[in-house]
Amino acid sequence: MISRRRFLEGTGAGLAATALPLPEATPAGSASEAAPAPAPRTAIRIVVNGAERRLEVEDRWTLAEALRDHLGLTGTKIGCDRGECGACTVRLDGRPVYSCSMLAVWADGASVQTVEGLSSGGRLDPLQQAFVDHDGPQCGFCTSGQLLSARALLDRHPHPTPDEVRAALAGNLCRCSNYQRYVEAVLAAAGAAPASAAGRLEGGGGSQGAALSVVGRPTPRIDAALRVTGAAAYTGDVRLPGMLHARVLRSPHPHARIRRIEVGKARALPGVKAILTRDNCRVVWSSGDTRNTRFLFNDPVRFVGDAVAAVAAVDRHRAEEALGLIEVDYEPLDFVLDPEAALEPGAVPIHPGGNLSPDGEGRREPEVYRRGDVEEGFRAADLVFEDRYTSCHVNNAQLEPRVSVAAWEGGKLTVYASTQGISNCQADLAKDLKLPPADVRVVCAFMGGGFGNKNQCHDFDLMAAVLARESGAPVRLEFTRKEDYVAVHGRWPTRQRYKVGLGRDGTLRAIRLQGYSGMGPYRKGSGGIAGVDLFQCPNVETAVHPVYTNTAVAANFRAPAYPQGVFGIESVMDEAAHRLGIDPLEFHLKNLTRKYHDETPYTGNGLEECVRRGAAAFGWKQRWRPAGADSGPVKRGVGMAIGGFGARVGRSSAVIRLDGSGLFTVHVGVTDVGTGAKTTMALLAAEELGVPLPRIAVVSGDTDRCPYSVGESGSRTTGFTGFAVIEAARELKRQIAQKGRPTGGDVRVASASPDPRLEGVARYSFAAHFVEVEVDAELGRVRILKYVAAHDSGRILNPLTAVSQVRGGVVMGIGMALHEELLYDPASGVPLNAGYYGARVMTHCDAPEVEVLFVESDDGHGPYGAKSLGEPPIIPSVAAVANAVFNATGRRMHDLPITRDRLLGTGA
Amino acid sequence: MRPLASVRPRELDEAVRLLEQARRGGRRAVLAGGGSDLLGMVKERLVEPDLIVSLRDVRGLDQVASGAEGTRIGGLVTLDAVSEHPAVRAGYAALAEAAQSVGTPQIRNVATLAGNVCQRPWCWYYRAGFPCFKNGGGTCFAATGENQLHAIFGGGPSYIVHPSDTAPALVALGALFRLVGPEGERVVPAGEFFTLPGKDPARENVLKADEVLAEILLPPPAPATRSTYYKVLDREAWTHAVVSAAVAVDLEGGVCRRARIVLGGVAPAPWPLPRVERMLEGQRLTADLVAQAATAAVRGAVPLTKNGYKVPLAKAVVRRALLAVAGPAR
Repeated sequence: MISRRRFLEGTGAGLAATALPLPEATPAGSASEAAPAPAPRTAIRIVVNGAERRLEVEDRWTLAEALRDHLGLTGTKIGCDRGECGACTVRLDGRPVYSCSMLAVWADGASVQTVEGLSSGGRLDPLQQAFVDHDGPQCGFCTSGQLLSARALLDRHPHPTPDEVRAALAGNLCRCSNYQRYVEAVLAAAGAAPASAAGRLEGGGGSQGAALSVVGRPTPRIDAALRVTGAAAYTGDVRLPGMLHARVLRSPHPHARIRRIEVGKARALPGVKAILTRDNCRVVWSSGDTRNTRFLFNDPVRFVGDAVAAVAAVDRHRAEEALGLIEVDYEPLDFVLDPEAALEPGAVPIHPGGNLSPDGEGRREPEVYRRGDVEEGFRAADLVFEDRYTSCHVNNAQLEPRVSVAAWEGGKLTVYASTQGISNCQADLAKDLKLPPADVRVVCAFMGGGFGNKNQCHDFDLMAAVLARESGAPVRLEFTRKEDYVAVHGRWPTRQRYKVGLGRDGTLRAIRLQGYSGMGPYRKGSGGIAGVDLFQCPNVETAVHPVYTNTAVAANFRAPAYPQGVFGIESVMDEAAHRLGIDPLEFHLKNLTRKYHDETPYTGNGLEECVRRGAAAFGWKQRWRPAGADSGPVKRGVGMAIGGFGARVGRSSAVIRLDGSGLFTVHVGVTDVGTGAKTTMALLAAEELGVPLPRIAVVSGDTDRCPYSVGESGSRTTGFTGFAVIEAARELKRQIAQKGRPTGGDVRVASASPDPRLEGVARYSFAAHFVEVEVDAELGRVRILKYVAAHDSGRILNPLTAVSQVRGGVVMGIGMALHEELLYDPASGVPLNAGYYGARVMTHCDAPEVEVLFVESDDGHGPYGAKSLGEPPIIPSVAAVANAVFNATGRRMHDLPITRDRLLGTGA
Repeated sequence: MRPLASVRPRELDEAVRLLEQARRGGRRAVLAGGGSDLLGMVKERLVEPDLIVSLRDVRGLDQVASGAEGTRIGGLVTLDAVSEHPAVRAGYAALAEAAQSVGTPQIRNVATLAGNVCQRPWCWYYRAGFPCFKNGGGTCFAATGENQLHAIFGGGPSYIVHPSDTAPALVALGALFRLVGPEGERVVPAGEFFTLPGKDPARENVLKADEVLAEILLPPPAPATRSTYYKVLDREAWTHAVVSAAVAVDLEGGVCRRARIVLGGVAPAPWPLPRVERMLEGQRLTADLVAQAATAAVRGAVPLTKNGYKVPLAKAVVRRALLAVAGPAR
């Protein structure tokens, strides 16, 4: 059966799809006649940022396309191209609109304001300055849109209330979830009483160690001005002469063999320059699967969205048309979507050998950890019970969609990649394309978030590179938002079965976890379910099964193994406390971890202080009541949860150069995913060198100019790369001491590649979150009334960005708790709600205010004692919300997300 | 997107003629008001027009005129303008609130009232391109599939819910729709504009080929009319109604002279509740009566496998919406 249905391209004309009541026109793909008629064009006139622009556009171009691709105004971003995210917001005759959702021809005769039109004469608009001062942009990809909506609001209502600000910006998503900062910035620009710029609760506990000059003060991001003016060039803004555009054809089947692929008609389409399929491209994407061989184009295809072909053409519309002309003959196979079902006898094997993915040594066994004897522990316990919890696939959903630009110059490849790790990306590209690493350059000046799904090189980077080689021209390959949701990766769904035993006094005696993680059909992530290690317990046994399924691949997403695992174990702990009649706060103080795995000392453990100070700031004792205390339909409750995340040390590199003018340039391989890494590196250099911050420049994001970096994942940038910066600074100071300062054209250059190790100790960051919710039990709605997040991340290097980071992770976690799920149709294996709208990603109106408290310390490791901060904030958030819902309603929610139908208790 | 042409006629007659002409010539033509939902569907290849007839420049369709005979709202008036217009806010609060509840400011700045009323379904099977009734096929995948968001009334053979917020309000307010097509004009009451799938599962309303919803006519509100639109949505913004209720009551001396209640999010068309309306008319809206009305509102609901929660939810929504218009202090 020739299937012309192109999932992710819509139905296409091949099916009997009628457009409203009008009859079928000739389906696109069946035309075997000569070159298609040229696309209709119109000459239009738009006043853009006050200047009249005349251009000829194709009628089908959106306004966003016309602005970005044909007027060179790339400050307006495209996040979803469907009017579901707001990144493309511009003002049309003064009113904010989604420029992706209107044709350029419809703006003929109108005036348009883009972000480039906000500043004048090089001076920032007060709103832009407020965004800089109040840490508005994290990754910056949503910032242009936020600015224009905010500007329109202030022009109409110069003194809005916070809720009016949220309502005006409700159509602008921020996945970094920096909502509170944007509101603070808009209110500040409106002249409202300023919130504390740092935004943190006082009384967080003093630093041990010497007071520092630069580190520890709230410092705006050094590149914030670029992000608020639209001047920051993200990968999608890169334009190379002769650049082609590429798109990927994807499987509509969850599992199928490919009998035949016919590309003849697609090749014959004028403007098509190269086509890749499994027939002519056998490149292996080595980081795409650590256990099996994963090609760029696989056969069989193993999930809806698995790549089948890639086409490079003169523009994106032509590339899309070409996809429609590729004919693929599939033989559908059985498929399985659920990780437990995939292990049942008779389940279709997705890879030879079955669906339990082998461990690191190739054994078909779960990942097991044991200490003590759980059976003995259960026997000795006063209370023993079992419980089951589930979580689902959640997409990282970063605002910047997937894009890669590849260009060859002779044998040397340059890839403009949106990546969290230029060094890893470079190494992977070299390996998979069989090139010497020195012949591969990876560039990422700015990137718009990733939260773990942009760690290494991806199949689309390789596809872009191969298409560029085949066609002899630079190639830009882009994904739609739907492709980003389905064809990259997200957080693995889990099934968690717990058995726990406790003493009557609430002391833990034994914990067993049988876990199953749905990894998709390619093993790219660990599949871990973490959280049991947050508790002190003499007898523990965890067995986690990473399982292949015919669904979207699952891999790293912000604390990959944690929020779902902590949801599970913290629900069990909360249930235990409830059954024993113990206040959860007391329960935690009794049982929280004091040594890693009850045996290895921590370098510093602020967990208990986080719990105590957080609870005090929250008013836990005053707010907590036994579960289900309110009898009316609107019920209040409180919940808490703890978290922990590794704060390791390790190898990375930095180079610092001092020139004759006195400028220090720090070269580090960071790309600043939104964490403020560039600023942090500059602060560390300034502190160690003993100079003011303006004397530091940072060169980043280019493997030709930056040394190796571990990559911005695992919350390691500050710890690893920051440490290298300090070492390089010390080396530079030694050089200056020996040789004096450079003069004229002379320079001093120092490099460092430290590889610190920690033996016999565990280094962790900790957190404790406290939430009050209001549950409307008749409507099935949960609202967050109060949220306090207490964090031990050692010394806080920049409280401005650190607070933003914590709030962002918290809001992301609330979204995971209440809304987000990639839902699959069981009958067809097709994901039904891929995208921002389908996922119900949190908006300004959903995000509560989050109060942040830091418990600071300096354990003598890392840069000035700083520990990991990027991932910890999401870790306790899901569990804290779930436990608060239990406390409010008296009903334990076992399955994520906690949606309305589950709360109303009548859904499936 | 495939190549397409867009034209911007200045007269409604011309727009209709362009549609008709295209169809006769074997080309697919569609109308665009604000066009935002349309473009999304074009990009997803649910609709593949050769010609988009944009109505933005059409004269006379973007005005709100209010007088003794009621209020006329041109089909092209944006949702933002509808929600902000003093006459609408004063006399037809349910419509103002419903319009305000749609989407986001960016959407409301371009989306038109007619476009919102004629919006295609947001069923995820339909939008993902499954060959269902709405896509010209012969089945409904939600019937036995993921039907959490689907109909509990009036469903079959398709189980979509009508996605418009303004539609239930317009039905509750007794609006009339002026339709203009190649064969001339006709006026259809809002309550008769929408159709159930039992009649023709491929469509949601009675619009004929090349017909345009040109104008919405609202009767003058009685001085004692109070109306509201109560919407429950997943997320606090930017989402279609899970269940909603448009309620309009005439209260005189505390007695309900006339009641109109129309639900959204529960059926393939806005779902009026005539039996409940009769329970309320001539009565005082006490808490007890309202509770009984809410119970009656969901009698006869036929939930599917996964949307049973909409039954108690609809009951709660009716109760709360009625209490909201009944006003303070019984």
